[in-house]
Amino acid sequence: MPYELLILLSMLAVFALSVFLLKLPSGVALVLSAIVGALVGGEGVPLRHLVEGSFGYLDAILIIATAMIFMKVLDGSGALGTLGHLLMKSLYRWPTVLFIFISFFVMFPGMLTGLSSACILTTGALVAPAMLAMRIPAPAVGSFIAMMAVYGMIAPPINIPVMIIGGGVDMPYIGFERPLALASFPLALIVALYYRIRYVRSIQIEEVLSRLPAPLHAKHGLKLFAPLVLVVVLMIAIRVVPQYMPDIGIPLIFMLGSLVGLVTGERIDFWQTSRTAIREALPVMVILVGVGMFVQIMTLTGVRGFLAVGALNLPPAFLYLGIALLMPAFGSAYASASVLGVPLVYVFLGKNEIVVTSALSLIAGIGDLMPPPMLLCAFASQIVGEKNPFQILKRSVPFIVLSLIAAIAMIAFADSVVKLY
Amino acid sequence: MKRHHIMAVVLLVAVALVCTLAAREFMAMNQPDEIIPGPGVKTVGALSNYLGNLAGTSSNASVYYLDSGKPGATVLVLGGTHPNEPAGFMTAVVLTEHVSVLEGRLIVIPQVCASGFTCTDPLEGYPQSFSLQSKSKVRTFRFGSRGSNPIPEWPDPLVFLQYPSGQQLSGNETRNLNRSYPGRPDGTVTERIAYAVMQLIDREKVDYAFDLHEAAPEIPIINAIVTHEKGKDIAANALFTLETENLQFALEMSPVNFHGLSHREWGDRSAAFPFLMETSNPIQGRLRGKTDATLVLRGTDEKYKEAAQLGTMRITYELTGEPLARRVARHLRGLQAILSASMESAPEKRIVLDGLPTYEQVLEQGVGAYLQ
Repeated sequence: MPYELLILLSMLAVFALSVFLLKLPSGVALVLSAIVGALVGGEGVPLRHLVEGSFGYLDAILIIATAMIFMKVLDGSGALGTLGHLLMKSLYRWPTVLFIFISFFVMFPGMLTGLSSACILTTGALVAPAMLAMRIPAPAVGSFIAMMAVYGMIAPPINIPVMIIGGGVDMPYIGFERPLALASFPLALIVALYYRIRYVRSIQIEEVLSRLPAPLHAKHGLKLFAPLVLVVVLMIAIRVVPQYMPDIGIPLIFMLGSLVGLVTGERIDFWQTSRTAIREALPVMVILVGVGMFVQIMTLTGVRGFLAVGALNLPPAFLYLGIALLMPAFGSAYASASVLGVPLVYVFLGKNEIVVTSALSLIAGIGDLMPPPMLLCAFASQIVGEKNPFQILKRSVPFIVLSLIAAIAMIAFADSVVKLY
Repeated sequence: MKRHHIMAVVLLVAVALVCTLAAREFMAMNQPDEIIPGPGVKTVGALSNYLGNLAGTSSNASVYYLDSGKPGATVLVLGGTHPNEPAGFMTAVVLTEHVSVLEGRLIVIPQVCASGFTCTDPLEGYPQSFSLQSKSKVRTFRFGSRGSNPIPEWPDPLVFLQYPSGQQLSGNETRNLNRSYPGRPDGTVTERIAYAVMQLIDREKVDYAFDLHEAAPEIPIINAIVTHEKGKDIAANALFTLETENLQFALEMSPVNFHGLSHREWGDRSAAFPFLMETSNPIQGRLRGKTDATLVLRGTDEKYKEAAQLGTMRITYELTGEPLARRVARHLRGLQAILSASMESAPEKRIVLDGLPTYEQVLEQGVGAYLQ
């Protein structure tokens, strides 16, 4: 048995024991498994590597913390409930249009920022109450916004996994708009129509509205939505007019939105709201710290290389299947794009590399749904009030399979796909 | 005090202890490497001579001037554009410590992205340093990050808009010196380094400029010389010479639509002929196994051996490994061949180096033999 496999198995065993037997939080279990992996790998307890790994997702952690505060402020000010109310009241007569609108609305922040988590924590959180009010089960709502978050991250104009792969193979981010649109919008449309047909025959508007918080726009006017407008405008401005608007960072944008939200609606106890937000976001943030340590130790001990070469080692007949299974298994779109995305572009040299890279980014994007971090499922579970994120993952499996089939088809027929646009 | 308060205090103390111990290791990387000027070095300057606002920062790289005092070509050699590519900066250190100039002038910046030598990349498991036995002692050099240290210019934008082209790249590339040319004097730390290098090229009237790199074995431009259109003939002649010595180099032309790269922007915006050279460095690769200082020095990696034998993708990896000595030897020999070819095309621009070790000498005696 390769020694790297022994290290990997010991890490996974410690993770499973910690979570299922000792009932430790997943983040703490990841830290313990990283320490055991280092010990088995002959590295002792490499403090520097553990601390360095814990900083691997610092930016994501800050985004999560500030986005959660922002959402709690929107909720407390009444903006969240009012928006859901207005959305339902405006579009309930046309459920199909409503679902298509909701889908692209959820995807929007991801399209602008390239961050899947931004979709769930902003627009996803806005539409979730309305969907729940339509009596769609909470895990299904969570799955819907998690899948839209993946498609939003993949959709143009900004796709960070493609940029990561491009950085590794010296490919400029040019000409990706159409293949990325092809890899995201049709899938989002299929999921939206599925939800429309599966869960909503017709909308009993009075019943739905009665389950939503009372609207407050009459009391506070349009300024109720000022925090949301500010955040969206700033996100667009740093992308569209960077010469006038420097990139101040997504966390700062969310904090500015939160501060504005303090004076635009119902009164909010900011400190209490912040404490609640951070307490709720903490499990996910700890998971990211743990994942960082886990990945760092995997790299240090050679387990990462073992997995990457394992993927390339698959017989040609199983290569596509292997890619579909192994790339998401990295549990992070960015890690997957960096570790496997770059070599795989070279494996498929000869096919249209822009289509191949776009499809690989979709497969990598699915990684954000996968354990151990299960980042999007964990976020979505908090938004919809579902205690077990695995329920959301379970509901997402058909869409994940569909997306993987679509991505693999794009790679296999890359040269024909080009002719579609 | 309640039980959870006691637990909180214990955890805080434990975290403080771990942070203190780890911080000592991180802070140690701020200590500059010892580079001992050899007999050929006449003056030592700094990048801040070309852009004042770099003075006093961790980005103010040392510049070594090896001047014969006789007319000829002015040649610039950059190492450490990417501080996780040790053959690039060790080649420049060998030039600084061991070589003299008989005609013309040589300017060497061994660690041009000095800021990047003060940290490593999270999630990569890199060693912080590696050591070599020199003529007199054990010499230790830092193994840094691909980009500048993120702290002075944190946070990275989500998307890096290259200046002035507006080309979009992933956010972390904002700290990549070799995407930041021509730079700007009031830009990010990395853009300022790039600007200072451009100023140096102009002010010192550099004729031939070299940017020494390494890359992962799966990258197609391994063992290549990349040049601008204007350097094509010189590079082609050098390749011919190298091939007669059984040294395989590929000639790659600088992509016209990929901006910020040294070979593109130096070529477009200065009188210098730019050349970038790459060697195969397993520790940079995504397929590598155990990651440590031994991998830096010996370049032997079972995972790359396995991947190369698979043939699924093109991997430039010798089954016996890619030792630092061979990577440095290739850079030195490539540099020498290009300079010889340049003198054939412009005989009035001569540069004659004394003490430059041959490819075979570096292979036999190791890099340390050419350090002070």
